[in-house]
Amino acid sequence: MERDARSFRVALVADEFVNPPPGGIDGIAAAAQAGWGVVQLPAADYPAQVADRLLFEVAEQSEEFAKHGYDIVLVGQREGLADALARVGLAVPDGINPESPVQLKEFLDGRPSPQAARGFGQAAG
Amino acid sequence: MGVAFVAHCMLNQNSKVGDGAHCAGVYSPIVDVLREKGWRIEQMPCPELAFAGLNRFWAVREQYDTAAFRRHCARLATAVADAIAVRVERGEDIVLIGVEGSPSMGVTITSSDPRRGGRPQWAEGTSEQVSGEGIFVEELRQELASRGIGFPRVAGETHAIPGHDEAAQRAAVESALLLAPGDDPPEPPAVGAES
Repeated sequence: MERDARSFRVALVADEFVNPPPGGIDGIAAAAQAGWGVVQLPAADYPAQVADRLLFEVAEQSEEFAKHGYDIVLVGQREGLADALARVGLAVPDGINPESPVQLKEFLDGRPSPQAARGFGQAAG
Repeated sequence: MGVAFVAHCMLNQNSKVGDGAHCAGVYSPIVDVLREKGWRIEQMPCPELAFAGLNRFWAVREQYDTAAFRRHCARLATAVADAIAVRVERGEDIVLIGVEGSPSMGVTITSSDPRRGGRPQWAEGTSEQVSGEGIFVEELRQELASRGIGFPRVAGETHAIPGHDEAAQRAAVESALLLAPGDDPPEPPAVGAES
């Protein structure tokens, strides 16, 4: 069986960086290069009811990552995210509104080692 | 434009069951194909992550096929079907990228072993893969049918399938992207083969 290769690092990424417009900042590429997983936030043009359901699931999954000491950051912004996270007891994580791919990669690279990486499989708290 | 609804772990291998993460975060072999072909990416929630947690055991369909997990998957399927419905209404082409061999996210291959349970102990290499869909995919199919929305074409990440071949995986994804709606998909990879 191969060794588990996870990074214990999860970025909540606004849709504009997951599906960037021409000339936009590619958040997936930056995350891949920096070794981060991506949790996509709902596209800005979804109706509120559609977005709210998706944000609920983002929050529940973030809760599980947070419980185990994974590092979580926010890339960009998403209306409704703060409320969804608050419902599971989480604050909006540290984040960045990147102005360049280099700035985004430096932000991701500069994060401290996640707590979970120091005790894989152990609940953090 | 086409929209690929992808399994959560395509963008986030941190959601995988322990010993299941193939890379640090983004599983590029699938994501790169979608990007190259100009497909929009929509990430689905991981059915197992929030339900059974990060410390879950490897499991087969029979272990997850409970009323509670079905209700959980139905809730997720409602959220995903809402998003698919928006895209379909806009005339966008849809594909579903699952995870072959997964009890939840398999699109043509899932896992089955009715004897598995109790203290986790089974011989390495025990074959549990069978043709079929995972539980979340079944719930999504039902939810879309209830709305009169046709089920999308599918392809799957095949890392867990014996004899996994990245080139064949890529070809299958490309084929799903290129097929016209209503065309027959290619044959799924064989199950039960020794690696």
